[in-house]
This record gives sequence, structure tokens and C-alpha cells, in this order.
Amino acid sequence: MKNLVSRRSFLQGAVAVSAGALAACVAPAAPEGDMADEGAAMEPVHLRWDTFRGIGSGWNEERIETFTEMHSDVTIELRPLAGSGQQDNYAKMYAAQAAGDLGEVVAFDPSHYHFWRAINKGIIMPIDELVAADDTPLSEWFEHFLGLQYYQGQLYGFPSWGWAGFDTLVLNAVHVEEAGLDVPDPVGRDVSIDTIHEWAHSFYVEGERFGLNISHNEATVVVLCRLFGSSLINEEGTQCLLLEDSNATEAMRWAYDLGVVDQVLPAPGDLENAGGALVAGLLTMNWCGSLCVRNFNNQIEDESVAKAWQILFPAREDGRYPSQLRGGTWNLRTDQDHADVAFQFLRHIAGHDGSLSFNLVAGNFAMVRPDVVQSLIDEDPIHDWFISSLENGIPAHAPANSRGREYTSAVQQWTDLLLDPHQPVEFEKGLQDLNDNIQAVLDMEPA
Amino acid sequence: MATMANRLKLSGFSEMLTTSRQRRENFYGYLFLTPWLIGFFGLFLGPGLFSLYLSFTKYDVLSAPEWIGLKNYIKMFSDDPLFYTSLGRTFYYAGVGIPLGVFGSMFLAILLNAKLRGLAAYRTLFFMPSLVPIVASVVLWKWLLHADFGIINQWLVDIGWSDPPGWFGDRRWAIPSLIFMGLWQGLGGTRMIIFLAGLQGIPESLYEAASIDGATAFHKLRHVTIPLLTPTIFFNMVLGVIGGLQVFTAAFVATEGGPGFATTFYSLHLYRQAFDYWNMGYAATLAWFFALVIVSLTIWQLRLSRRWVFYYGS
Repeated sequence: MKNLVSRRSFLQGAVAVSAGALAACVAPAAPEGDMADEGAAMEPVHLRWDTFRGIGSGWNEERIETFTEMHSDVTIELRPLAGSGQQDNYAKMYAAQAAGDLGEVVAFDPSHYHFWRAINKGIIMPIDELVAADDTPLSEWFEHFLGLQYYQGQLYGFPSWGWAGFDTLVLNAVHVEEAGLDVPDPVGRDVSIDTIHEWAHSFYVEGERFGLNISHNEATVVVLCRLFGSSLINEEGTQCLLLEDSNATEAMRWAYDLGVVDQVLPAPGDLENAGGALVAGLLTMNWCGSLCVRNFNNQIEDESVAKAWQILFPAREDGRYPSQLRGGTWNLRTDQDHADVAFQFLRHIAGHDGSLSFNLVAGNFAMVRPDVVQSLIDEDPIHDWFISSLENGIPAHAPANSRGREYTSAVQQWTDLLLDPHQPVEFEKGLQDLNDNIQAVLDMEPA
Repeated sequence: MATMANRLKLSGFSEMLTTSRQRRENFYGYLFLTPWLIGFFGLFLGPGLFSLYLSFTKYDVLSAPEWIGLKNYIKMFSDDPLFYTSLGRTFYYAGVGIPLGVFGSMFLAILLNAKLRGLAAYRTLFFMPSLVPIVASVVLWKWLLHADFGIINQWLVDIGWSDPPGWFGDRRWAIPSLIFMGLWQGLGGTRMIIFLAGLQGIPESLYEAASIDGATAFHKLRHVTIPLLTPTIFFNMVLGVIGGLQVFTAAFVATEGGPGFATTFYSLHLYRQAFDYWNMGYAATLAWFFALVIVSLTIWQLRLSRRWVFYYGS
């Protein structure tokens, strides 16, 4: 009889289970100190690669296979991250880190604003010592993309993807030819801001076609400001320049006149599939990245409707090309036993072959190595169009407090409000609100 | 006395048997309940209470929660411009969308309850939109409601509306666009099926009696059908309010909260705080406040129902 379970004892057990589950919800303390086991180096090495890049293309498997062929004592477990969006996958990585289960090879991209947070939280490790021990020639990568991998003087990864941001107007040349105009030199940088303004009007046909599309995301707004000789935030990532620098104000005024006063631009949210509109002949110029012209070119089915071309923005007074050099990274997690082996794998995926197939097999934009760009040009000469922005572009500036997600959201939503033709606001008020809300994010405490 | 003693003995014996059987039954009862209880305590109550604790902390997942008392609640009421606006938009969406949805489904069900040829085909046709995945539905409606190239605006122009709405791209029309999309998908869905079940539970004799009394179709609708459907209306209203206030997916996919925050509903604001900005403590505060709002509204609906819900035969 004593062995029977009473209600009280059963519920006590259930509460204990609940308490256990509750305790499991609490993030474990981050592991401290060097966990390296001196004897472990002699054992077979097992690495875990947590990534969402390249998944499903076969690229990751090929990289693992070719690496393990050279290092028979190493096994690498690919753990695909399959969130509904890129940001979801960072959530998974943070959760895995909190649970002590993050893989040894990971990626917290600067251009997704997770790089600095991951460093500040001790998730990824500096690799300077490994680079020195390996004598890795860092000149393999474009200087500016490698520059994105540094924080407070230390190197934290090798470049994965990388491009020059929204540095181009992708152009449907059919419309230009139909208008009897000369199609501009795709790398000439000889189309002025005034001509772009004029074409936004002249190619606009109400209800049928837009001349120009400007999206309101941070990537576009930054290059818009840079086109006029300024930027959106300062290099330190602490100050919004929209009111501070008259060139930035002028840039926003230019967009405001087109979108709100003249109403020749798509309203916010009107033309989310701008690529599709280009292919269908519903749009003449799309403010996008130079690499978008490659996609546009590949998507065209009827050359009488659309023909891929591009306009590169004119050089600024300081000689720099309006752009936003931005990119991703491959990192090593801190506190791992075989960082030297993981480092070799990092080199394997970020080297020439890895980077080239990252473009061609995995379908990413990885213009981060001169030798890869040359291989891509050999593959498709259109890649030659992108070189000048890569060589003379302007690096991205990020908020110093690692509040990148709040920053991009503020830029997008408040630019929507400034450039809304349906419920127009006075330019001065809209710009003040945009500036203040960006500054409010930059003034937040560090993430 | 002997009889009494026998009775007592028998009673004790019977009690012992009952107790033994009862204990066994209890054991198996609890055994079969265990998976649910583990789920309830481990996946619902435990995390729920933990999130209540988190609402008083600063927590970013990677560091241990830091107790900050009521700061998150103070921030919510005094220093979060999106708190009131997102709450207002959510009530706007629910306040317009739920009555339209519930009464639309009810009248659709009434129409589809008529004795017509090909009724099953009609029911299937009206039910089909509810089977369309929400993402596909969003893509479809974004093209239909495209301000410049959409077929709906072309029709509106054809019938003389020279300046038709900008729909998803227009802050004034973004929420109505989501409501239209929701109605297209929801009117003929499970809510309509529940109404059909409710309609078929109304005794035919009541309609016959009304006919004998000279009632017209409208009279029957007003005095028989609708009163006897009030429990179903109430049920759908309760579920509708709970679901409508949690509007998230359509806005997340269709507009990402834009343009200019126009579709940043409360749940989307909460989601961003949690999974975009990693302010888990603050997101927990928003979640608990909203849970209280929904529970309060549900209790209010339950109390109000005593005045207007009619249970036939009770």
C-alpha cells in the first residue's frame, strides 16, 4: 500500500519536473577559461559547422569532403540553420550559444550587425595568433572586406560574401533605346544626378511604368547620402548626419522632390519585387547593387521587353565612388579545443576555390578576393562592371552600440514616412523625425 | 446491533475494495495524464512563469537576467512610442475585422444552408481560400491590390474612381488591405463551418411554427435563426477577439510592419523586441500586459454574453 502514489506526492513530482524544466530555461553561465584538454590534440578532431549559407546547394558538403580528404583525422558535422529568414538563424545561434551547443565554425556577419555583438558577448574569437602561426597571406582578400573583419585592432574572421552595396542603377536599356537616347557606358560614371532626375520623370508613364525606383532601406539611403558627398551616419557610428551635413540634407531633398512633390517614384511598399518589374518592362531604373545587373541579365526572357544594363554613380568630389562596401564573415567560436584545425577549415572555405564555388555553386555574392573576381570575369564578362566600386568604394559604417537591427528598422520606417506621397509631411519635419529617430538608436546603450 | 455491525463490516470491506480499486485507477489515471502534465508544467506553466520573472529583468539571452524591478513596465507606459500606436492599430484591425468576419461568415453560412442544387460545390468553393497558405495569399493580394498595376485598381479606375487607394503602400489603406485579405481567407473557413453546424442544430419545428404564424423569411431570420445562433456567434466572437488581437503573420509577411509603421501591430512590435533587438525582458513585459488585456476582454465578453446569448432549451 505504501508504494501507491498519492495525489500529493504525484503533484510534488510534477512540480519537480516543472521546476527542472524551468531551470532548463535559464541560460547557463558562459564557460570560463581555457577548456582545452592537453591530450585532446592527439585524438581525432570533430568540428561542427553551424551555418545557413550555401545550404542545399551542395557547396558545404563539397567543402567538407575536400577538407576531410586532406585531413583524415578530422570529421566535420554540417548543422544547417533553416530559419525562415537570415535573422532567425542568428536567433538560433544565440540560443545555441546560451545552451552551450554552438558549433566551432560559425558566421556572425558585420553587414547583419551581429559581428560586434558576437565579439562583445565573447562568442567568437580573435584569430590573429592563428594567422601568425599559419603565416596566412592576408593580401589574398580585398583590403576593405578584410577590414570589416577587424574590431578593436583584432582580426575575428575571414570574408565570406561581400559587395559594394546599392551602388548602381540597374537599367532596362530597351526603354532608353526606344526613347532614342544613347545607352550610357555601363562603367563610365558619366550620368549625372541631374540626368537621373530627368530620366525618373521622362520614363515615368502613369499607370504603366516607373522611371526610377528607390527603396527606403538603409542600404539605399546610405548610398543616396554618399552620392551627394555625405553619409547617413559618421564613421564612428555615433552621429546621424542628416541635419549635421547639408549634403545629406540635399540628398534627402532630392528624393523627396521626386517621390512626394513630383510623385514619380513608387510609394513605399508599391514595388517590392522591383526585379520582376524590371524584367516585365514596368520599371526603367532600379536603385540596387551592381551585382543585381547579373541577376537581371539572367532573368530576362524576352530581349524586346528588357535588356540588362547599368548606370554607375558619378565619382564624388573626394574621388570616391558612392557605395557601401559590406559583407559577411566566417568565424571561430571561442573556447574550443581545436581552434588550429578549425582555422584551417576556415581558410579552406574562404580561400580561392571555396570562395569561387561560394559564388558559383552556393549562389552568394562573394567579390571579396581579387583572384575570385578575375575567375568570375572569365566566367561572365559582366562581372568586370563591378570592379571599380570594389576598388574605390566606401566601407559601411555601423552603429557603435551594435544596435544594427534597430538602426535599419528606424531608417526604413521613418524614410517611408518622409517619402510617403499619400500622406505627405513637410520636408523639414519628416527629415527632423528621421534624423531624431536614427539618433535615438545611436544613443541607446550598447547591445 | 448485529445488523448494524454487519453493515459496518460490510461497509468497511466495501470501502477497502473501493479504495484498492480506486487507487489502481488513480495510478493509471495519473500515468496516462503524465505526458499532458509534463507538457503543461514543463512547456506552458514553467516557461510562462519564467517569462513573468523575465518581465522584471534585463535579459538578452546571452547574459544572465538582471533584475530591474518595474523599469520595463514604466518604459512600456512612458517611453515606448510604438506601445500605444501598435496597440491602437491592433484594436483597429480587430475592431473592424472581427465583426465583419464573424457576421460575414454567419451570413455566408446562412446562404450555404439553403437547399440549393450543387450546394456541396459552393461550400467547397467558399472553403478553399482558407486552405491557401498565408504566404501565397499575401503574394496574390499584393498583386491584386498593387496601386499601379493591380487589377482591382484598374477596375476601380474603369468605374470612375480616378485616384484609387494605394492599398499596402498607403498608410491609410494598409490595415484595410490586410482586413480584406483576412476576410477573403477567413469568411468561408472553419468559422463558416461552425456556423453551418449551428444552423443545422436549429430544430425545423421552430421554422414550421413560425410559418404557421405567418412569419416571412426575414422574420424567421430575425426571431428564430439569429437568436438560436447566438451561442455560436458568441463562441466565434471569443475566438475571433483572441485571434484578431494576435494578428501577426499577414503583416509580418506582407508589409513587415510598414509603410511607416502603419501595420506594426502589437504582436509584431513584441516579436521585434524579442527576436530582432534581443530585449527579451521588455518583450516579456509586453507579452504579459497583452495577455492581461486578452484575458480581461474574454471575461468581459463572458459577462456580457449573459445579456444576449440564448441557449435553446436551457
